[in-house]
Amino acid sequence: MTTLIFSAVTNAQELPLNLKVIDPYIELHSGPGAGYPTFYTIEQGEDVTVLTRRTGWYEVKAQNGKIGWAVASQVARTLLPTGEPVDLPSVSYGDYLKNSWRAGFKMGRFNDGGLEGSDVFSFSLGYRPLSWLGMEIEDGKIYKSEIKGNFQAINLLFEPFSQWKVSPVLTVGTGKIEIESQPELTPLEFDKESFTSFGLSANYYLGRNFVLKAGYQSYIVSTNTDNERLAQWNIGFNAFF
Amino acid sequence: MEYWFQRILLNTKRTIIILLMTSTQLAYSSEPTKPDANNIDTEYFDAGISLGILNIEDFGSEFTAGVNLTFNATENFFMQMNYLQANADESSFELSQGNLFSGGDRNFKHYDFLVGYNLFQGEHFFSEGKANLSSLYVVAGVGDTEFGGEGSFTYTTGIGYQFAIQRSVIIRLDFRDYIYKTNIIGEDKTTHNTQLGLGISYLF
Repeated sequence: MTTLIFSAVTNAQELPLNLKVIDPYIELHSGPGAGYPTFYTIEQGEDVTVLTRRTGWYEVKAQNGKIGWAVASQVARTLLPTGEPVDLPSVSYGDYLKNSWRAGFKMGRFNDGGLEGSDVFSFSLGYRPLSWLGMEIEDGKIYKSEIKGNFQAINLLFEPFSQWKVSPVLTVGTGKIEIESQPELTPLEFDKESFTSFGLSANYYLGRNFVLKAGYQSYIVSTNTDNERLAQWNIGFNAFF
Repeated sequence: MEYWFQRILLNTKRTIIILLMTSTQLAYSSEPTKPDANNIDTEYFDAGISLGILNIEDFGSEFTAGVNLTFNATENFFMQMNYLQANADESSFELSQGNLFSGGDRNFKHYDFLVGYNLFQGEHFFSEGKANLSSLYVVAGVGDTEFGGEGSFTYTTGIGYQFAIQRSVIIRLDFRDYIYKTNIIGEDKTTHNTQLGLGISYLF
C-alpha cells in the first residue's frame, strides 16, 4: 500500500523520460547483465520510456508495453522529444568522476620503519569536486602480533589523467596515528602522534564507477625526539556513486 | 595612442558580450524544460540483515546476527560492508578447566569490507511467466575481529547465492570463512571461523 502511494507521488512529481531510438535497434534483455537473454528488440524510430537504472543498464518500456533491460551505452544513443541527443549520465569516464561521492577500502603492509611487518586496512569516504582532484577522510587499523593501532587521515588526491583506464594518482595527507602494544611488551618510539603522508598509486577502472587502486604511501610521523618514517604498500577498491 | 584606446575599448566590448551571452545561457539552462535523466530512479544499493551459525575455532557453534550494506558497482562486481556479532558459550575445554576470559570479551564482534563477483547470473521462475533474478557469487576482503580481548586483522572469503523474491527484496545464502591469527589459547595460530548465514536485503 505504501509502495502504491509512494509511486503515485513520484509519478506526479517527475515526468517520464521518453526517448526515440536512433540505433537500428535496441535489444531488451530479461535482466541487467550481458548474460541474460535478449527477448525483444525495439526498432529504430520507436519510443521508449526509461523506468529505472542499475549500474550499466536501464530498465525501459517499449511502446507496446514490453519491459526489459537495455545496456546503458545503447540507451545513450537515443533522442529526446526535442530532437536533442540524450547523453545519459555515466556514459563516459569523465561524467562520474566530477561531483561524485566515493567509498572504498584498502589493505596493505608496512615494509619500512618501526611498524615493519604490520598489516593495515582502512576505509575511506571521499568527494571529487573536479575531474582531477578528490578529497577523502580515511580511518584505518594497524595490526601486528604485539602491536595494535589506528589512524585517521584527511587526504587530497590528484589524478591529472583521469580519462585513462590506468591512471596515476598522487596523494598528500595529514592525520593522527595511535599505537599501543597489545601485551605492553614492545616499547615503541611513539604512541600518539600526528603525521603527514605522500603516496603514489595507480587507478585501474574495472567498470565505469568501480576502481582497483594499488600504490605506495610514505609517512613521516613527528615524535618528541625526531621524525619517524614509515612506508606501506597497499591495494584496494573504490566505488563512485 | 589611438590604437591602444581602440584595442582597450574593443576588448571591453568583447568581454561584455561574452558575459552577457554566458549569463543568458545560464538563465536558459536553469529552466526545467525537459525531464532530466538524473531523476531516473536508481537501484544501486541494498541493505539487509542476516542470521546464521558461526563456528568459532576452539569454541562452539554460536547463533549470530548481522547487518550488511551492498553497493552494486557494476553488473559483475559489488562492494559489501558487514557487521556481525555472536556470544561465545563455554567450550568443552572451558567446561572442565574454567573460563579463559569473561564478560564483554566473550562477544565475538566482526566487521569487514568485501568485494564480490557475480560468477553465474540467472533467473528463477517461481511461477510460469514470472522471472526473478539470481546469481552465484564469491566474495573476498579484509576486516577486524574482536574476541577474547584481542583485535585481529581478518581475511574473509566466501561464496553465496542470491535470488530475488520480489523486484526489490533479495534473499542471500552465504558461506563465509573468517581467517585470523590469534593466541587466545596460548600459542600463535591461524584460525578458520566459518559461518553459514541466511539474509534478507532491500534494494534501493
